[in-house]
Amino acid sequence: MAQPQLQPQTEAKSVPAKPSPGKKRPFFHLSEKKKDALSGYLYISPFYLLFAVFGLFPMLFSFYLGFQKWNGLGEMEFVGLQNFRFVLSDPIFWKSLFNTAAIGIIGTLPQLIIGIILAYALNSALLKFKSFFRVSIFMPYVTSTVAVAIVFGVMFNSQDFGLVNVVLNWLGFDSVSWSTSEWGVKIAISTMVFWRWVGYNTIIYLAGLQGIPNDLYEAAKIDGASIRQQIQYITIPMLKPIIILTVFLSTIGAMQLFTEPLVFLGRSFREEGITVVLYLYREAFSNMAFGTASATAIILFFIIIVLSSINVFFTNRIGR
Amino acid sequence: MKKLFYMVAFLSLVLALAGCSDDSKASEDGGSGKSDGKVELDFWVFGSAGYDVLVDEYMQENPDVKINLNEGEMSDVHNNLFTSLSAGSGAPDITMIEVSEIAKFMQAKDQFYNLNDYGAKDVEDKYLDWKWQQAQSVDGEFQLGLPTDIGPTTMFYRTDVMEEAGLPTDPQELSAEISDWDAYYEAAKQIKEKTGKPITDSPELMFSALRDQAPEQYFNEDDELIIESSPYVKEAYDYTTKLIEEGLVGQNALWTPEWGSAMADGSYATLIGAPAWMIANVKGNAPDAGGKWSLTTIPEGAGNWGGSFMAIPKESNHPEEAYAFIEWLLSPENQLKSFQNNGLFPSAPEVYEDEEFLATTDEYFSGAETAKTFAEAAKSVKPIYMGVNYSIVQDELILALTNVAVEGADPQKEWDAAVKRIKDQLARQ
Repeated sequence: MAQPQLQPQTEAKSVPAKPSPGKKRPFFHLSEKKKDALSGYLYISPFYLLFAVFGLFPMLFSFYLGFQKWNGLGEMEFVGLQNFRFVLSDPIFWKSLFNTAAIGIIGTLPQLIIGIILAYALNSALLKFKSFFRVSIFMPYVTSTVAVAIVFGVMFNSQDFGLVNVVLNWLGFDSVSWSTSEWGVKIAISTMVFWRWVGYNTIIYLAGLQGIPNDLYEAAKIDGASIRQQIQYITIPMLKPIIILTVFLSTIGAMQLFTEPLVFLGRSFREEGITVVLYLYREAFSNMAFGTASATAIILFFIIIVLSSINVFFTNRIGR
Repeated sequence: MKKLFYMVAFLSLVLALAGCSDDSKASEDGGSGKSDGKVELDFWVFGSAGYDVLVDEYMQENPDVKINLNEGEMSDVHNNLFTSLSAGSGAPDITMIEVSEIAKFMQAKDQFYNLNDYGAKDVEDKYLDWKWQQAQSVDGEFQLGLPTDIGPTTMFYRTDVMEEAGLPTDPQELSAEISDWDAYYEAAKQIKEKTGKPITDSPELMFSALRDQAPEQYFNEDDELIIESSPYVKEAYDYTTKLIEEGLVGQNALWTPEWGSAMADGSYATLIGAPAWMIANVKGNAPDAGGKWSLTTIPEGAGNWGGSFMAIPKESNHPEEAYAFIEWLLSPENQLKSFQNNGLFPSAPEVYEDEEFLATTDEYFSGAETAKTFAEAAKSVKPIYMGVNYSIVQDELILALTNVAVEGADPQKEWDAAVKRIKDQLARQ
């Protein structure tokens, strides 16, 4: 999972049922207004109930576990902040944080820029077979991550017969050891992330572009604005909320990068490609140290908050 | 307010589905129920054990017992068992546990029945000592599981590569030629010189074959790390890195597609430290290489790789019936049947006396006497204590070896770094 899916907002926004105009019947002796409120809350309750069971409880439990030493089967033992000390003093944790940031930047920044360009092209009046191209661009997103990682794993095979290495040799470069070298691993994983998510962002941008009224462009054309000026003064500012959304989703998604490196690297958890979530996974399910794994999760939680705040700060400046 | 009524009805349905599924599952297949006066036993196995035939046979002989066989992937079965024990519900009546996982579950032995209470002591002498001890607590009081198959290791080799290198292709002759690790090293140089191929395919197998011959491995029985003071693991590491640095070991990592295709290509001479169950992997990866493979003993003695146990979680309400079944299932006679049906190598030495068993040969392996070779290997395996954190040490040492093999890193630096990483991780356990 490289990016969280858009949370369906519909449940939360369901409008309470209208008061029925017919006869008034006594029902639990509630006033009509209270009944309306009650049914409204009942409508939205499934989401919150499921969230409480499958979302909130695990989160709180994980927070609790962060202060315990537990191997999953035996007794828990309260150890205070020791788990946090272990994680924060572990060079591999910092390495994983660096990797996550590096892969996040290599994988998502080009993705967002190319996404806007692709969306602009798809929205252009000059393009034929629009729906075909739109579907094709979105296809990678629908593909299973594991399948993607396996296919890319074959392409980025470290040996000389790996597809990418064959092309490199053909162009006169040396083969790259994609699964063990410092930047080879990162580039291979970033490529997977890029390929899979670029279409997703493009479609979001496309929706944003179509929300911009055509009148603005017409008025600008009459005033003699060039294409570049149209993009700079109309498209980008009007697209700002959408850009903020995609930057947020990409940042959070990049911080949670997991499946691609896991399948690509296998269970060797090599230092060159281990991400924060992979580090967490290794602690919990390979080393059976649920305490330090939970501590890692809490640390990651705060890192995401900080990064999101930085994002707000910078994306607010787009198009000013 | 009909709507309100429907809403409530819908909600209770959602809650019933979400919240109560656990209870209904438990009463249905949690093994606690008796239907039609029959005792129902849930039985979790993994791999292609082929126990279905024997289960049917048992149910015909014992009409009051019904066994629900549930086959899954090895890691899934262990994960599900771990989760259900951790959660306190959902565990089966009988579960299969692999040897690499047994120490982990031994830590939670209060969640399992002690099989000694049900008569395990009486059948102990039917099984190999070292195998029996793997599922026993250190003090010997608690028996977690009964032994299933084992994985005594041998050396598989390519007859075509050996021939090209001017080495014998007959198992006996080759075994005499490569009788110790010095001879193996000399043979490696000869193979490299004549054919340009490495003697073995992966650093991990080379290292494991050597390590398995040691009387102690990564931990002592108090679960203290001993690789810095005990010489054996470091010796195995040094031998492996010496061969790697001279280009005598291939770079394939286990279970990768490259590793599989190398089996078919014959790009190396020996698959060292290969257990009986590896036969299926070789045949699967190289279906057309029949007659080009053969097998013989490993220089200086065999190790063991893999094999499982049957255990009875405390959640079961029918430990006596469950025990009666596994004692029957894992008896020497039935282990012989499992071997004949699915190639599970028996852990009961009396099978090794069986004429028919010993006569087993394999055409794919150039007609080598497979059962006899593995039986010899099984008898020579030394009991060793693995410890609960075995895989942490194993993973880090393999990572170090991979760095030496693929990146050309300095062996001593990699060893020191691996030891440091191991200690960091052990501190958290």
